[in-house]
Amino acid sequence: MVTQTSVGRHEALPTGSGKAVPTKSRKPLLRRIGDNRTLLLMCLPALAFFIVFSYAPLPGAWIAFTNFNYRDGIFGSPFVGFRNFEFLIKSGQLWLLTKNTILYNVAFIILGNILQIALAIMLNEIRSKYFKKISQAVMFLPYFISVVLIGVIAFNLLNYDTGALNALIQQTGGDPIKIYSIAGAWPIIIIICHLWQSTGYGSIVYFAAIMGIDNSLFEAAAIDGASAWQRIRYVILPSLKPTFIILLLFSLGGIMKGNFGLFWNLVGNNAALFQTTDIIETSVYRMIISQNNFTSSTAVGLYQSLFGFALVMLCNWIVRRINEDYALF
Amino acid sequence: MMRKSLARAGAAAIVLALSTTALAACTPGEGAESGEPTNITMLVLGDKPTNGRLEAMLEKLNVKLEAEANANLDLFYVEWADWQTQYNTQLLSGDDDIDLITTATDWLFAWENAEKGAFLPLSEEMLQEYAPKTWEQVDAEGHWDLTKLDDGQIYFIPEDNFTQYTNHGFFYRGDWATAAGIPDGTITKFEEFTTYFSWVKQNQPEAYPWDVSGAKDAALIGYLQGHTDGQTIQQISAGNYYPFQTTESDPYTVTSWYMEGDELLEAAELAKEWNEIGVWREDALNYDGDTREEFYAGLSGADQHHTQTFIGSIVDNMTKKQPGSDPKFFYFGQENGNFFNDILTHGAMAVNATSKSPEKALEVYDIIRNDEEAYRLLNWGIEGTDYVITEDGKLGFPEGYDSSTDALGSNFWAGRMDDFELDRVTDAPNKQEIYDELAAAAKDYEYSTLVVNKDLIDPTLAAMGGVLSEYIPQLQYGKFDDPAAAIAEMRQKLEDAGYEDARTAIQTDMDAWADERGLK
Repeated sequence: MVTQTSVGRHEALPTGSGKAVPTKSRKPLLRRIGDNRTLLLMCLPALAFFIVFSYAPLPGAWIAFTNFNYRDGIFGSPFVGFRNFEFLIKSGQLWLLTKNTILYNVAFIILGNILQIALAIMLNEIRSKYFKKISQAVMFLPYFISVVLIGVIAFNLLNYDTGALNALIQQTGGDPIKIYSIAGAWPIIIIICHLWQSTGYGSIVYFAAIMGIDNSLFEAAAIDGASAWQRIRYVILPSLKPTFIILLLFSLGGIMKGNFGLFWNLVGNNAALFQTTDIIETSVYRMIISQNNFTSSTAVGLYQSLFGFALVMLCNWIVRRINEDYALF
Repeated sequence: MMRKSLARAGAAAIVLALSTTALAACTPGEGAESGEPTNITMLVLGDKPTNGRLEAMLEKLNVKLEAEANANLDLFYVEWADWQTQYNTQLLSGDDDIDLITTATDWLFAWENAEKGAFLPLSEEMLQEYAPKTWEQVDAEGHWDLTKLDDGQIYFIPEDNFTQYTNHGFFYRGDWATAAGIPDGTITKFEEFTTYFSWVKQNQPEAYPWDVSGAKDAALIGYLQGHTDGQTIQQISAGNYYPFQTTESDPYTVTSWYMEGDELLEAAELAKEWNEIGVWREDALNYDGDTREEFYAGLSGADQHHTQTFIGSIVDNMTKKQPGSDPKFFYFGQENGNFFNDILTHGAMAVNATSKSPEKALEVYDIIRNDEEAYRLLNWGIEGTDYVITEDGKLGFPEGYDSSTDALGSNFWAGRMDDFELDRVTDAPNKQEIYDELAAAAKDYEYSTLVVNKDLIDPTLAAMGGVLSEYIPQLQYGKFDDPAAAIAEMRQKLEDAGYEDARTAIQTDMDAWADERGLK
């Protein structure tokens, strides 16, 4: 790919004599592979990963258009066109799932990045070396806690009969709250859990970016008599902008994906909360686990991939329009 | 240029890789009669035991199998965690290492999996040649028809010679029911549980009246069964639900108690009342504790499962762990006699469609089902260490045996035989009475031979399953402020999902089936 583009650019150069540019890079394939063997070798694990987990299963998406049975297999099962999609659309389920998935991700991305940046800046401002290390470690910890445990902890905190929160409310003379029946409360709970889990980890990248800022900028700011707040506002934040945009683009690519483990362990099969908590992943999982329904779940999965793909292309196009250097491709 | 040749190279590499694995899979599996013994793997449900007793038993059993069929038996476990998914995906995978598959038409999706091609169709000749004893016994009782799809082929072997009752109901405590003022401490009507539960709530502060967890529908089904003459058609599930019924008064018309009548609303209103009393945990849907242990520990006033569980473990455990608790069983449909004898395919054995040695698998099955020595080994283990025969001829356990750690766990539920079974020392003392009472009142399930073609309605059933899984658990736990509105909403969604089309399709099959038998 890289060589091709560079060839293209060479050819586009005015050559003066009108002759073709010597085709220096048009070496035989084997030769080029040989020249770049170390690079290619380093690519190999990633290539293998994507081939095995992303490209090889692609043909399986055909299940979404069939009335699948084991005997005839994926490609032999009767073709039914879009029938598997029909009810998903008619029942409004597809719209609900899309809406929930996207809204959660938007909240995760926006709040997540703001918190991560704030945290990185605060860490940067801490002068005591030990305190800085300890704070960093403590904020990092939740990332390593299994979501299964988070689900259990949440249940023990929030449940009606024995939960810690309701015990506290009752001790202070209030009426206990039926949190597991209030659909409206769960977006907040899920977002808090997600941020608690991921902020410490996410702030590392920003922290590293701050470390990488040219020290002379800080010195100049100090000479100009900038306050701490001004230093943050005029030096650090502008320097973080490219990092922020790259991370934003990466996360937009995953906007149709949810944090399945967290959602499933917090909500599970509690249908009372689906209206506000059901995302594409949990719905697909439930369809397979309790309904043995491979076709509809594949249909939803395929929809998720296509929609996500379109979204990434769109975002990248928009970014390219704004500033080509920030675009991913 | 480069991209093209790269793609070609990549494609070649993939083809090469695929063909090597395919070749690797083609290793000879057929052990000739005189050669190495063939390994037969049987899929069973349950947690794989780790106490070494299973291996010891298999070692002994395999000596016998080797001598008689030149085969070895091994067990493959689908463990209880997420068993529905695990079971179905295991079958979907077409794993050719598995030869025999435990299945069931009412709880292990046998019809669905047979239709999807997971099971090998078994020809009469094949059964006669390789499983002659089984063939003869099932044939003599005319039970092969219970295992055929509409293509007329046999897809599994029924566990048709084993008496059991798996009709569901509530287990409760006679001592508490007496204290609650229920005559004789015996509950005879579903609604009487309101009295019982209220008493437990007020007088046993430690206990939940009925500690129950997860998405269940028992409270609704229990009410519907006892207040309608609806008879669930077990061949058609929508997800985990069975939404199609006939009625005893109109036995060949397909309907649904989720769609018709006021009983669902009555049931939902009763559930709402129970929820307000605090019969279960407010967050039962998210709770996943072991509620049976709670019942044994005196922390729950009721538990819900079937007769076999009551006779086999509830009575024994409660008598030991809650002395004087006087455990009792109220079965759903008790008040109006609307319950059924077990269908004969509550346990069944199928041969994997991709098995490399189906004939050998049938031979092995014929032995473990019909040879008393092999049967005892597989089901009970080694005499003296896993079980003993008491002086009065009952099946007992050796000194110091603890069923929670020492169980054999072979879980052979697809070919047990009354002829070889013994009463167990842990059985409820009134087992026979219970059986007699059930046998006197239970109806026979009439539709065992009805085959429904689900090809066209599969997506509809899937959609209906999705709707039901959203509404039924919430109705069962009384979570809707306005159950009537919720039911109307659910019915509308089921209509949208294509309920009427599915019902019509099933009715067509039902009509043809009834005509054939001159029933209509």
